[in-house]
Amino acid sequence: MSTYTRQFRRILQDPILAIALLFVILFVFVAIIMPLLAMIGESLSPAGLPRFENYLSQPAFQRIITNTVVLGLSVAIGGTLLGFLFAYVQVKVKVPFKRFMHIMALIPIISPPFALASAIILLFGRNGMILKGIFGVRCIWGAGRSCNDIYGLDGLTIVLSLSLFTVAYLNLKGMLEALDPALEEAGTNLGGSKWHVFRTVTIPMLIPGLAGSFLLLFVEAIADLGNPLVLGGNFEVLSTRIYLSVVGLYDTTGAAVLSVILLLPSLTIFIIQRYWINRASVVSVTGKPSGTPQQITHPLVRWTLFAIVMAVCLLIILIYGTIVVGAFTKVLGVNNTFTLQNFDFVINGYGSKAMIDTTVLSAVATPVAGFLGILIAFLVVRKTFLGRGLLDFATMLGVAVPGTILGIGYLLVFNNDLTITLPFGGETPTIITLIPKLAGGRALLGGSLAIILVFIIRSIPAALRSGSSLLAQIDPAIEEASISLGADNAVTFRKITLPLIRPAFFSGLVYAFARSMTTISAIIFLTTPQTRIMTAQILNEVENGRFGNAFAYCVILILIVVAAIGILTITLGSTSGSTRSLEGGR
Amino acid sequence: MSQQPNTPPTSGRLQLNAVSKSFLRRGGGTPMLAVDHVSLDIPKGEFVTLLGPSGCGKTTTLRLIAGFEMPTSGQILLDDQDITNRPPNKRDMGMVFQSYALFPHMTVFDNITYGLELRKISRQNIKEQTNHALEMVGLTGLGERRPNQLSGGQQQRVALARAMVIEPRVLLFDEPLSNLDAKLRVQMRSEIRNLQKRMNITSIYVTHDQTEAMAMSDRIVVMNAGHIEQIGVPSEIYRRPASRFVADFIGRANFVETQIESVNGDGVTVRLLGQTVTVPMSTRPNIGDKFEAVLRPEGLKLHNDPSLQQVLVEQAMYLGSEIEYIVQANGKSLIVVDTDPRSEFVYSEGQTIGLGMVHETIQLLPLAPR
Repeated sequence: MSTYTRQFRRILQDPILAIALLFVILFVFVAIIMPLLAMIGESLSPAGLPRFENYLSQPAFQRIITNTVVLGLSVAIGGTLLGFLFAYVQVKVKVPFKRFMHIMALIPIISPPFALASAIILLFGRNGMILKGIFGVRCIWGAGRSCNDIYGLDGLTIVLSLSLFTVAYLNLKGMLEALDPALEEAGTNLGGSKWHVFRTVTIPMLIPGLAGSFLLLFVEAIADLGNPLVLGGNFEVLSTRIYLSVVGLYDTTGAAVLSVILLLPSLTIFIIQRYWINRASVVSVTGKPSGTPQQITHPLVRWTLFAIVMAVCLLIILIYGTIVVGAFTKVLGVNNTFTLQNFDFVINGYGSKAMIDTTVLSAVATPVAGFLGILIAFLVVRKTFLGRGLLDFATMLGVAVPGTILGIGYLLVFNNDLTITLPFGGETPTIITLIPKLAGGRALLGGSLAIILVFIIRSIPAALRSGSSLLAQIDPAIEEASISLGADNAVTFRKITLPLIRPAFFSGLVYAFARSMTTISAIIFLTTPQTRIMTAQILNEVENGRFGNAFAYCVILILIVVAAIGILTITLGSTSGSTRSLEGGR
Repeated sequence: MSQQPNTPPTSGRLQLNAVSKSFLRRGGGTPMLAVDHVSLDIPKGEFVTLLGPSGCGKTTTLRLIAGFEMPTSGQILLDDQDITNRPPNKRDMGMVFQSYALFPHMTVFDNITYGLELRKISRQNIKEQTNHALEMVGLTGLGERRPNQLSGGQQQRVALARAMVIEPRVLLFDEPLSNLDAKLRVQMRSEIRNLQKRMNITSIYVTHDQTEAMAMSDRIVVMNAGHIEQIGVPSEIYRRPASRFVADFIGRANFVETQIESVNGDGVTVRLLGQTVTVPMSTRPNIGDKFEAVLRPEGLKLHNDPSLQQVLVEQAMYLGSEIEYIVQANGKSLIVVDTDPRSEFVYSEGQTIGLGMVHETIQLLPLAPR
């Protein structure tokens, strides 16, 4: 045990390091652990505990749970397959337009919630332009209860797979590229056919990547709120039920109970993904690829894969095209008159406050998240202290926990001033406010602090991951060299570490801004009349059927994100980081 | 290169007093003792090598001196000051890393000025000293390059210049040449040694390459399993190894068991390979005590002499500068190295020949109980 005390003394010797560590731990505790504990505490309270049984025994709720799992599975399968298809074609198949396919696969990264769902509704919905408009198909009531429309599981699977498959794509593309061609050559050399080698060498090597993507997409899908809300129809899932419990029934206790039920699979899979899949990875061992990878040239295979991928690309174009066209149209599909009213509404009218608030809050959160993420990465990778694995884990909870759950936790914790009453002080006890009321009505700064906090805690994990993976590749001796030349920890961090992991810092910033601008589930309960957030406004417009306004919001949101990426690229001068940002995320 | 170093460091005596370092094993259990009561006293300007196989604790010892690790017990003194708990950036030691650890985002020039800039020296002086350091390592004109635009040997020189330019009290080298090819390694080791002598900086050099250690060092510290096996000048280490480990690790050795026949004057007489041999020895063993003779391969000679013990040549390998034989003597395989350039003394496999010894090369070691 004396080793720990020595480590501790070592850290105390450098006050800046000690303060940084203390601050980071405190921040993570307040911004993520406390809300989670409050939420769990609420669900286990005398009011909450009996409701577990109540919920779990009701058939209606059992169906919601089943729906959630089925949605998670179908999106995980659909998204992973889509990602694998794009990655495989990109790396291993000789086809034209690869650059185009790559960009198409990256586009869904910047997708405001509801944008895809709304576009799909307009295209394929009950009055959709394609089914009804082009083919004249009416809603046909099937043998059972449902209509053959886009609402429900099928539509959700398509939209969620399309919006989430980029992660799987980048993940698997990286693995396929890192795969030593000598392995496949060895397989062929031993007499295996291309198909045999694909089955027995390529796929097994990719299993960690496939499984990792699958689990990640599962968690993302069951956490998603925006799409089921708009596109769910009668298909209800846990996240929408939690949302309605809070917004419709003002039942935070019930929401907390449901949150715990949703949290269990999310956390379990997060832990599996983190400790099992990452360890099972075999590709990283092989090191630098030698030789050139062989590409598939068989015409039938080539052109079939090409056609499928191109079809998906066209669907993405169609969807984003609908968003843009819809933003300039009065009522797309009904009254196709060109108009600027929608933009006027957002820029000059009611929406301008949301636009400004969201951008300002995101811009405040972004550098903090980027810096904290890199700082935590540095502490976790480079310094030894008790509980460093725990710090890493707790920070990652920022994305592992579904946003709605985090939102409820914030509501519970920050709805009142957090105070402590000092035990001494005589007649009138001294009450010290530790954290003032951050969320809800009459909160500090109109609740904007809580929103910034959520933006930060949801964005730190990306910077942490890209930062720590880059740091792990940098020889610790480089930092030791700086220290042996007389620099202290702070100077070394500023002059050596930070410049070296600038790509990770850059990608962390890009990701933080994009994520903050587009997040909905975590902040939906935290917006106040004084602080409006664009995504919440989009939901409002979509729910009222004003798609034109919603699309205008989306277009402006996308433009702001793209502009911010541009500004970051110019100021930080790193273009190589932009792809890394996408890999590091989630 | 004829310029004198600006101001030679004024001091640099380094002492280690019973320094130990244990690491916690993963998953608990008894801690692993990586460095076991190592004591050293290195006067200013000496070049000392820590030599040993991988895992012997030499690098950990170096990192303890540098301050990157904290000793579990023991004391480290620099010029009689206790620096055991002093952080590495306040120790005034320059280190050359195995991977060079150049700052990849800085030019060669900026790499070398890095340490000077932390030392409140005027701009003009920094520039002069850096240029001087560049000249010393023969890299004049390459200051504006990035490390990745340099060859391995040039990177090595930058690392050297960067560590030396701050004129530290102690220079630490962690296997600095292990990433270079054989020819360059030989060239660099004499350059490092020359620079070190000129600047007269106390130096600790870690290597597992015994030739490197022999070529460069004032003294060699042979380490094994965390402790010091022997400290001595290179010739002493080679000719009078203190243990079987040292004899085996430094150069090559044949080990032949023997026992004391008589003790006389300042030596002892033993029977070895059919000959009576007198070997100098400082201790006074008893007659009949068992010993192990260390026979260096080049101390054994093959002669066409029937009076010598006859051995069978099992294998003969022609290596250019020498011929290496493996011979059978009474069922024991011995290595014999012959550097005689005359071709008439080349023996072939299957031949039986007499085996002679150069008596001065024989060293007796107490037979370690096994």
